[in-house]
Amino acid sequence: MASSPATVAVALPRPLLSRRARELVTGYLYLLPVAICLGGTIVFPILKAMHMSLYNHVLIKPHEYRFIGLGNYARLLHDETFWLTLWNSMVWVFGSVIFQFLGGFAAALLLHQSFRGRAFVRTVTLLPWIVPGVVVALVWEWLYQPNYGVINDLLLRLGWLSDRVAWLSDPALAMAAVVTTNVWRGVPFFAIMLLAGLQAIPDELYEAARVDGASVTERFWHITLPLVRPIIVVATATRIIWTFNYADLIFVMTSGGPANATQITSTYTLLMAYSNLDFGYAATLSVVLLVIMMVFTTLYLRVTRGIESAT
Amino acid sequence: MDTRWILTRRQLLQTMAASGALAAADLAWWEEPLVSPRRAWGATPVRFQFSVPEPKRTALVESLAQRFNQSQKDFEVKVEFVPQAQARQKLITGIAANNPPDCCQVWDNWVGEFEGMGAVDDLTARVKDWKYYSDVTPIAWQTVTVKGKILSFPWVVTNDGVYWRTDRATEYGVKPPKDDWTWDEFLAAARTFTKGDRNQYGFGMRGQGTWAVLYATEFMYANGAQALKDGKVAINSKEAAEGLDWYLDLFRKYKVCPPSVPTDGWRGIVEGFGRGVTNMYIHNSGSSEEQKDFVGVKNFATVPLPVGPAKKRVSFYFSETLTGFKNAKNREGAWRFMSWLMDDEPKFMYCKTLGLLPARKTLAERPEFAKDPAYQGFIKSFPFSIVSPYLAYAGWGGKLDSEGVPLFQQALVGKLTAREFLEKFADMLTKNMG
Repeated sequence: MASSPATVAVALPRPLLSRRARELVTGYLYLLPVAICLGGTIVFPILKAMHMSLYNHVLIKPHEYRFIGLGNYARLLHDETFWLTLWNSMVWVFGSVIFQFLGGFAAALLLHQSFRGRAFVRTVTLLPWIVPGVVVALVWEWLYQPNYGVINDLLLRLGWLSDRVAWLSDPALAMAAVVTTNVWRGVPFFAIMLLAGLQAIPDELYEAARVDGASVTERFWHITLPLVRPIIVVATATRIIWTFNYADLIFVMTSGGPANATQITSTYTLLMAYSNLDFGYAATLSVVLLVIMMVFTTLYLRVTRGIESAT
Repeated sequence: MDTRWILTRRQLLQTMAASGALAAADLAWWEEPLVSPRRAWGATPVRFQFSVPEPKRTALVESLAQRFNQSQKDFEVKVEFVPQAQARQKLITGIAANNPPDCCQVWDNWVGEFEGMGAVDDLTARVKDWKYYSDVTPIAWQTVTVKGKILSFPWVVTNDGVYWRTDRATEYGVKPPKDDWTWDEFLAAARTFTKGDRNQYGFGMRGQGTWAVLYATEFMYANGAQALKDGKVAINSKEAAEGLDWYLDLFRKYKVCPPSVPTDGWRGIVEGFGRGVTNMYIHNSGSSEEQKDFVGVKNFATVPLPVGPAKKRVSFYFSETLTGFKNAKNREGAWRFMSWLMDDEPKFMYCKTLGLLPARKTLAERPEFAKDPAYQGFIKSFPFSIVSPYLAYAGWGGKLDSEGVPLFQQALVGKLTAREFLEKFADMLTKNMG
């Protein structure tokens, strides 16, 4: 009887990378396309802006292009208009976001109630958010037009005004006018976000509170507000950043005027880049804006996290 | 079932790929084969950038380009329409990126900036041999001459005059202004024209855009001021401050202007007059054709700017230029097209359609311009028209808009006095004399 040849186990060659390392590499390879996209569209422009901010880069003066280190940053410290725009930005951002939030929350609470035609009203509420910002700006510019605008006309007919008011041409009123427009546009954003939050709160909680004799105000403070707080935090932070960088509305309605009364840092950056063609200084303003936003977001999230843990 | 006529997935893809390749080849060869007429064999493209303040110009310029293309076989002009607000930045970024158009239409106050970048084609030698050289008014050549070099063709010229409502003047008993009227008469007319209860104002002052500062400067000059004296900025003089004060008071003190002034740009003043809100405004002849449609040919006229206390007045002269670039890919085509646009028919059509005055004397003398009441204020202003002093330095062009205008607005709304504004303004001009 012939014996069958013995099978000798051959050791497989040791792989170049361990299993764990291979898994890691595979994971990172999956991330690579996203990393390239983000790097090309976000990281590279930021680095490029930082690089540009260190140069005297005025397009109409190509012969004066040179490295000036922190020269643009020093210029910014002494630029009165920059400090004015920073203050204007604060008024613009917080004026807009606070009223957008209050209006949005009120709208969300109303839209959460059951009533006939609710779906229609919800759709209509969204309209200001759907309309492009430039169109909103043009429409409101006409509404505010002092000589033949609808707002002055209505107020005069109602007898609430004796003289025509230059809403966008009076430095004392111009910022309030553009903030009002921005509030009108931003209320639906908060309304929809908060409505989604309200719909996620289980009805049982309200029923239990009602059984325990909690009033409407108590139910709002102890159930509604704590449970929608995460949404409030995210929505407000997002909106503050957007509004800080949002230049379309002011650019179309007032171009930052009159007399810089509505000039915010982002419109000032546009002015420096595309009117003065001073790309070095415009890049400096962008970098400073980025830093301010990063500091603000970090602080905001830290503070609100503190509130979260306290509750 | 006969499957011979069913397209397989592979066949479909192959057909699509072949169609795409054919279309791409056709596009590369003919450029926009379905839209534009096929150009003549060997015609080289000429890129012409035109800034578009109104739809009427788009149709007019497109039609001029087509006429040029049909008139010869060597070049084919492609018009690149750019909104007025973006025209300057687009040209400058094009120059910086070494990809300017072959030629463009721009205001003369930008040409100095382009020259500062070393980008503009020097046309001096060629222009002096050009057939209409001596027919163009010397002051028009002056608007396009930088450091002794002629850099552009002055396509059309503009100077400023006062538009006023003749029908309202009759209604309110305002005497028609004489050609040498004074500031006092101007103010008296503006006051009579102001009817708050009817939402009507005497004067539509401009508060936004470069020309807001230029119109104010014309009043300063009428009071004996000068922007430059012995090579130094002198716009902060006593005469300038007094002249500016008087001008600003039309809005601040006498309230003969609408409340929208601080944000009223070109469209604001033209539409304010057209809609009957204002009864006078200062502008060049460029809005005369528009006003014929708005208020009617018989209901308005133009008159020169009023004479100031110094028994002086000026009207700033500007030109809309045709400018070519050193790094253009088709410099010869650019020259041919620009010089063709300066010919009798195209130039006449452009000027007459838009209400602008031709820079060539023989055309300006035609009855369509010389006899039209809407142009009289401008034609009569020629004797005291001067080239804008703000063309003196290339660095002033953009700064006038980005820094000069916000400062002017501050003076307008009372945040700065006329003197404070002029000190800051003079400082800004001095810093940018490079």
